[in-house]
Amino acid sequence: MVDSSYGQESSANKSISTSPEIDGLLAGVGYAIRPSDLPHVAERLEKLDSAIIAAAAAGLPPEFLCSDAVHYNPSDLAAWVDSMSMLTSLSSPPIHPAPAPWPVQIYAPAPLSTPTVDLLAPEDAGINLVHLLMSCADSIHRDDHPSASKLIHEMQILLPRVGTAFGIGKVAAYFIDALDRRLRPRPSPPAEDEILYHYFYESSPYLRFAHLTANQAILESFNGLDRVHVIDLNLKHGLQWPALIQALALRPGGPPFIRLTGFGPPEICEVGRRLADFARSVKVPFAFTRLDEIQPNLLRVEPGETVAVNSVLQLHQFLSDPGSPGPIDSVLSWVKALRPRIVTVVEQEADHNRPGFLDRFTEALFYYSTVFDSLESAAAGAGPEVYLQKEICNIVCCDGEERVERHEPLASWRARFGRAGLWPVPHGSSAFRQASMLLTLSSGEGYSIEEVEGCLTLSWHGRAVISASAWHCGDGVDAPPLAGNIFFNGYSGSDRRE
Amino acid sequence: MAGSNEVYANESRTVVPLNTRVLIHNFKVSYSMLRRQDGSFDRHLSEYLERKVPANAKPVDGVVSLDLLLDRPTNLLVRIYLPAPAVSGNELPQQALLSALQRPPSPDPFPVIIFFHGGSFAHSSINTTIYDILCRRFVTLCGGAVVISVNYRRSPEFRCPCAYDDGWTALKWASSQPWLRSGEDAKLRVFLAGDSSGGNIAHHVAVRAAESGIHISGNILLNPLFGGNGRTESELELDGKYFVALDDRDWYWKAFLPEGADRDHPACNPFGPNGVKLDELPFPKSLLVVASLDLTKDWQLAYAEGLRKAGHEVNVIFRDQATVGFYFLPNTNHYYEVMEEIRSFVNSNC
Repeated sequence: MVDSSYGQESSANKSISTSPEIDGLLAGVGYAIRPSDLPHVAERLEKLDSAIIAAAAAGLPPEFLCSDAVHYNPSDLAAWVDSMSMLTSLSSPPIHPAPAPWPVQIYAPAPLSTPTVDLLAPEDAGINLVHLLMSCADSIHRDDHPSASKLIHEMQILLPRVGTAFGIGKVAAYFIDALDRRLRPRPSPPAEDEILYHYFYESSPYLRFAHLTANQAILESFNGLDRVHVIDLNLKHGLQWPALIQALALRPGGPPFIRLTGFGPPEICEVGRRLADFARSVKVPFAFTRLDEIQPNLLRVEPGETVAVNSVLQLHQFLSDPGSPGPIDSVLSWVKALRPRIVTVVEQEADHNRPGFLDRFTEALFYYSTVFDSLESAAAGAGPEVYLQKEICNIVCCDGEERVERHEPLASWRARFGRAGLWPVPHGSSAFRQASMLLTLSSGEGYSIEEVEGCLTLSWHGRAVISASAWHCGDGVDAPPLAGNIFFNGYSGSDRRE
Repeated sequence: MAGSNEVYANESRTVVPLNTRVLIHNFKVSYSMLRRQDGSFDRHLSEYLERKVPANAKPVDGVVSLDLLLDRPTNLLVRIYLPAPAVSGNELPQQALLSALQRPPSPDPFPVIIFFHGGSFAHSSINTTIYDILCRRFVTLCGGAVVISVNYRRSPEFRCPCAYDDGWTALKWASSQPWLRSGEDAKLRVFLAGDSSGGNIAHHVAVRAAESGIHISGNILLNPLFGGNGRTESELELDGKYFVALDDRDWYWKAFLPEGADRDHPACNPFGPNGVKLDELPFPKSLLVVASLDLTKDWQLAYAEGLRKAGHEVNVIFRDQATVGFYFLPNTNHYYEVMEEIRSFVNSNC
């Protein structure tokens, strides 16, 4: 018999705070399930197991074993088991009708950045450089500029010994330069924004991952709809949209009428024109509007239109210093008031909005050393580095309104969206699979994708770099359907089966 | 054999706490969705379903962790767990962590445990939550051990001996690090540990270590994965009854062993007809934990017998009415008593 003298021990990993209604031990290993659901789930698992055994005996895989089945939120065991049971048409109805915003969540606060793997190369000079960088940041944090200047000088001497061609020396060089610019501000050389963006786009999977996952979620949410309106909070060069337009062109039953509203400077009208030409070439009815900034009275949502709001690496610009009010809350209210069917968000998975300079600097140093390390594997050259340098300088040199690169981790965004009344729409296993295949085909070893409470994270050697999430506004607007039987062929052009 | 359509009553209902039962049964059901009849594996879905947790330089219950790349060509990552280093003054935790990795050998001896996670050679990684929790537990259990969890290459993409090679690489790396040495003699006091396939890997890395003169203080094997062509009594009796079936065991061996090899290959059956003689080697002492409801227990007991015949010390902890995976959740006597055995073994051999 089971020895039942051991009650629920609190989870060994106390970094996870759980609601008291879920089983603490299972929460500790990544599953959110209420104790009252355990018997039901145990029974369902038994039935599923029997179904598998019986099918195997007959030489057949049961329906839910086929690779077309889409899985959602594995942490919500009760819902997952129910969805698998529904696929096998096991008798009793599910207790958790999908799709519900799942009732309980495992919140793990963002972990403290660890030094990137490359810092621990054998040569000590690299680690010493890191210590110096952090001492210098500490001096600046305490407003001790003379010490900071001295340390910068020391680092500049040490740097050639470490070497700046790759590894810690390369990223350190950018951070030393940024620290120097903070002490002695000077104008940066003009940079060709579009070219740098393209370098970054081509040399690493981050932006392609962002576009692919957002587009997959948007595509699924538009299933069966005739008039759709995509609102891109920062159109930039519009690289995300041809693939979505194409996918909609190819969908069974024909494409919907697509309206694209892009926010950005007047130059993006040219981008809009190119997208319109492309849409015409694939016979998709399409209209483009440019808007300057987020003003509720200027945006037109037509009746009968379904709205998707998209924001890639840009929402953080509406944040301000923690504790002080910023535009973000009104932006999110505005988004919610549009009653979008889906809101797709991709953000850097980093904690660069901390109030203390030393904290912020350290987080950025370790984050960008990971990103630089990943670029090295692509032999990308200086282009993407210069693209990232702008972000680094903004984080290190700027304060107040000038600091726009206010990256915050997924856990913070989750809480913020929750307060704004936006509910998570989980990226399912099909989106995960597509993104995974993108990586396998086009990127260096060392990347991995993880599913975290419905969101997808792209990591390099175990360190999360960028995360993609999707949201809907609840009240009255139907959540996008769970079943994803539309596959998005993305950039790899690969068949949906491996 | 799963040849009949008879539905096996789940006998684990009476011996396993409900939350453990749900956890292990969930693994069983979801894993069966990943294995394909042609021997291929749905790696994408596997990675999607696994629950993972990142490394964390901030102390959690007094333990910090970080991921380290040991070998770029094979992408060999390890996750290092250590007691949170003391932070001086305004130092950030990351600075303290970096400094800890640069420090010279410590005068006070501490154990280093190189851990190989389970998963039948195909599942799990160093960041899989169940294993992250277990490694953290080992740090505090053993009075401040350093635990190195090895992200070995998995089958079917990488067959035997890739996992063993990766274990060996990790051991050699550990031997090269001054900060891992301790005691008056500045020695590396290293234990090899693992559960399921990890236990199998620990054994084979220990053999390599013994052949190369690297001293291992002890082996800790939790339900290690061994097998053979023959069917043992426990395999036939317990097939399909406590979360494990012979069919899946066969699949995983076929996926791990070299193409064309059978289960009497020495990787699977080290004391079988093709086994390597360990008699003359300085093979470490072993702590072997066997669960009475694990269908591979006869192979584990045969392994112990093989070690004894070769003149090597092995302490078998036989847990009556324990199933596989009892060490994932701290909710039974098995968990606590086995942890105590591990603690005692490490302390007395450090």
